[in-house]
Amino acid sequence: MSQTGHEERSKTVKRSAGLFALLLIVLEWTRPGLPSPLRPICDLRVLDHFIKQARDAEAAMRVCKEGCRIGVPLVVPLTRVDFGVWEKKNMEEQAREVQTGLWLLNKAISSLRTSISTSVLHSHIDASVRNIASIGQVLRSLSIQDYVPTDGGIDVQETWRVSSASELFQVHINFLRGKVRLLLANAPVCQPDS
Amino acid sequence: MTNVRRSVLAIYALYLAFASSAGQTFESKVEQLLHDEPENIKCFTETLRDLTCFWDEKEDRNSSFGQYAFTYQYQNENSSVCAVSVLGAAGKRLFLCRLSRIEFFVPLHLCVYQGGRELYNRSLSIDQVLLLDPPANVTVVRTRLQRQLNVTWLPPALKYMDDSMMYEVRYVVEGSPMRKEIVKDSTKLTLRGLQPNSKYKVWVRVKLDGISYNGYWSAWSDPVFGTTPPSDLDPLILVLVLIISLILILLSLTVLLSHHKFLLKKLWPDIPSPERKFPGLFTVYKGDFQEWLGHNNGSTWPVHMYTEELPAPLEVLSEASLAAPLPSHVSNPRPEATPRAAPYSREESDTMEEGEDQLETRGMDAGLHDRWQEPRHTHWLMEQLRALQEHPEALSQSSLLESQDTYVTLNQNSQHTREDEQGDDILEESLPLQALFASRGTSLSAASHSDLGSLQQSSGSGRLSSQSSFEYPNHTWSPNGPGYAYMAVADSGVSMDYSPMSSSRITDMGKGVTYTNEYKNDILEHRQPLSGQLIHSQY
Repeated sequence: MSQTGHEERSKTVKRSAGLFALLLIVLEWTRPGLPSPLRPICDLRVLDHFIKQARDAEAAMRVCKEGCRIGVPLVVPLTRVDFGVWEKKNMEEQAREVQTGLWLLNKAISSLRTSISTSVLHSHIDASVRNIASIGQVLRSLSIQDYVPTDGGIDVQETWRVSSASELFQVHINFLRGKVRLLLANAPVCQPDS
Repeated sequence: MTNVRRSVLAIYALYLAFASSAGQTFESKVEQLLHDEPENIKCFTETLRDLTCFWDEKEDRNSSFGQYAFTYQYQNENSSVCAVSVLGAAGKRLFLCRLSRIEFFVPLHLCVYQGGRELYNRSLSIDQVLLLDPPANVTVVRTRLQRQLNVTWLPPALKYMDDSMMYEVRYVVEGSPMRKEIVKDSTKLTLRGLQPNSKYKVWVRVKLDGISYNGYWSAWSDPVFGTTPPSDLDPLILVLVLIISLILILLSLTVLLSHHKFLLKKLWPDIPSPERKFPGLFTVYKGDFQEWLGHNNGSTWPVHMYTEELPAPLEVLSEASLAAPLPSHVSNPRPEATPRAAPYSREESDTMEEGEDQLETRGMDAGLHDRWQEPRHTHWLMEQLRALQEHPEALSQSSLLESQDTYVTLNQNSQHTREDEQGDDILEESLPLQALFASRGTSLSAASHSDLGSLQQSSGSGRLSSQSSFEYPNHTWSPNGPGYAYMAVADSGVSMDYSPMSSSRITDMGKGVTYTNEYKNDILEHRQPLSGQLIHSQY
């Protein structure tokens, strides 16, 4: 009698353990919210790669004179960096600034596709758009929240307009070299002593 | 006022002193850029807090610096004016302007106006014209390994740019060309493949890597010396060399020891000395042979005496010289052969029978004529022997057949029966082979003493026998001298049996029996009838 009781108890214990494990697995799958965080991409060589590509695009656009005219001036972010001023800003401000600028650039470069006919330049445009998206991924990996600026949220002071593709790509590369890189290089996740 | 001016001057002097003691002075940078930069307006930033732009005056004009105007304008901003200052002496003057407000990552437009007209202009981005100080604290140390040196240095203390630096290390040793190496993302370098025990001179310079920031190469740092450790023997090579040399030494020692006598003989040959043969000749008598001979006479004679026998003359006697014949029924006994031959004779008994038959027939047919030439001899011999056997005392009469050798005698009568006792003599005569070579196993015993009776006993057995020899007390012919060695020759027509005999045994006649030679192959002798003479020698 006691033996059968003991056996029954062990059986139930095993079954409950199995059910518990199953429950955990299911909850893990259905966990709401963001997916599991990416591994932080702290290596700046990724960004350097994007910068090199942007440099090539800018060089290609510079020689393009006629076919690179755009009708409507495009809104682009400011790229200037004053180290003193920059240091005074906190992380979120910097992140917002970067993400706003990237959003603007993305919009501007994407709109170039319709204006520019040359296939070679098209490849540069596509590469740039891809890179901007990748930078967004990198930011996300550094635990920087996505930020999509609303139309009202953009500070006009921080933007200006360009009227040529070469200018646009110049802005693009300067932006990557400056603000984006500063943000990535000083991300708290990547700091060794954070 | 004067105190303030003095203090300002002092501060300025101190500032200049500090500036000059820096890694690279401002003037030197200007000089360098003057050389390197192709643009008309040369600009650089060293501290990231200001931008220095300068241009050199044109040679033709001896203009004052008041003529120049320098404007700069950042993108999307208004242009500004920068105060122009002068550097250098007359004729080699530089006009420069320092921008205090600087922005990175934006295009900057610069313009130099001279007398209202634009002289130069340039558009640049400040993050692309960085000119840094050379690295500080360059140290060169030895490593644990051979032919290596470790070079370390401090990076320029610039925020945000540590990971954008690129370094170049230059090192040289006396007698070798200078070598350079580029280092990225690291502030240390291991120099490999250096000469051992040499003094190396090392420099380092820095530059921005050009991806995000760019600039000019800095000046070389002050040289730092480092000495490589002296080379030591690779332990493995040392061990191998030792082992091989040890093996070689052992091998040579072994060869030397095993052949040392041979080598010694080759290198230091013995001079033969007769001292051994002449004991005391050189030591006692000092080479006087006569004296030495005198002392040594009678004693050991050093000359070797041959123990061999002197060559003995050989006398060949024929039957014709023999004395009066004995009774006809004497058969020649055969001396005893060695006991060894006895079993041999038994083995050959069967063959011997056949041989005997053949021989008999042959003897009948072929040698008939020859036989009849000397039947008298053979008969006579056998008769002599027979008589001697039966009557040993009658030996004195016999002058023949006094040999004790093994010999074969054959006669023509070959068809008689063998069993006849009476005809023993006849049998032996007629079947000499059979009789002579027959034995019943008494050969061994017969070998020990003279026994003619053994001959009779063995007659009918048809076996080979080794018969004893017997002695003759008398002999008619004597040797020519004492000490002669005689050889008894028994000629069977095929082979000659020689047996050395000592002539000294002559005196022993009648006493003992000597058996000298061995039993030869009788088959051959059987087949051949006795054609030649039967030669006996007496002793």
